[in-house]
Amino acid sequence: MTEKRARGSCRHRWAMSNIRGGYLVVEGCFHCRHRTSFFSEEPVPPQDDYREGDHFWSYLGSSQASKFDLKCRLCSMEVPLRDIMALMLCMRCDPECGIYRAGSGERGNKTWVYVALCADTSHASKKCVSKTGIKALNEYFNSGLEDPAKKIIVVSCASRRSVDTCEGIVLADVGLTEMY
Amino acid sequence: MRVSELVKQGVFKSFNDPGDKEIKGVYISDMVSDIIGIGPGNLLVTLQTHKNLIAAANLVDVAAIVFSRGKTPTDDVVALANKAGIGLLGFEGDTWTLAKKLYELGVR
Repeated sequence: MTEKRARGSCRHRWAMSNIRGGYLVVEGCFHCRHRTSFFSEEPVPPQDDYREGDHFWSYLGSSQASKFDLKCRLCSMEVPLRDIMALMLCMRCDPECGIYRAGSGERGNKTWVYVALCADTSHASKKCVSKTGIKALNEYFNSGLEDPAKKIIVVSCASRRSVDTCEGIVLADVGLTEMY
Repeated sequence: MRVSELVKQGVFKSFNDPGDKEIKGVYISDMVSDIIGIGPGNLLVTLQTHKNLIAAANLVDVAAIVFSRGKTPTDDVVALANKAGIGLLGFEGDTWTLAKKLYELGVR
């Protein structure tokens, strides 16, 4: 029987858990131009317009995606990643962007910055993904890398300068139906 | 088996420097949302040739990518793969034939 380690002293070995498939749905408010996103596990992603407070949300698009949580194989600690809608690879398009700067302090060209995207794309609510989730994602994706010089940095999307000009690549199944 | 040994078999087309990573397994998928859950060192077999796939493959540190059914990546996709050090290979046949061929060649 596996002995469970005390969580405080555990050097976590994360594994994905609670993996579920669905759609990453992006909506925009034509009134204030803010954008939001959510994860839908419905067979067909909802596309209805609706009002929420001062916002009038309209469907902008969707793509198949998956969500997951992380669970430590050693101490069974679970880190829910409900607030993360998708991951995005930073393409280093804007030196003024906080995401760009997150990778600038690293030496070598094998450092890759991935952005954990929260639901409030425009950050109108001032909320973003949890620090606990970001820390666990960094530990998870850096564990077992074949190349010791390679490094994955996962940051929250709070420091992204502009959602409109960002050239990052979202890890979702865009173009899945275009392959034939 | 290493990627360079696989390429030497002469079965695959190379779209860039295939590198020499060790192949620890094979994973077949056309969905980015699926690929981000695999472990490092897999040879990724897919029909998809878009940038999102390279972004996901880099995150999970694949050994190389093999495009089946004669799929050809565009120049910008190859450029991103080069930057990430991911070898891109091509196979003319379908994915099932490719899977059998990999097994015949000793990839496990």
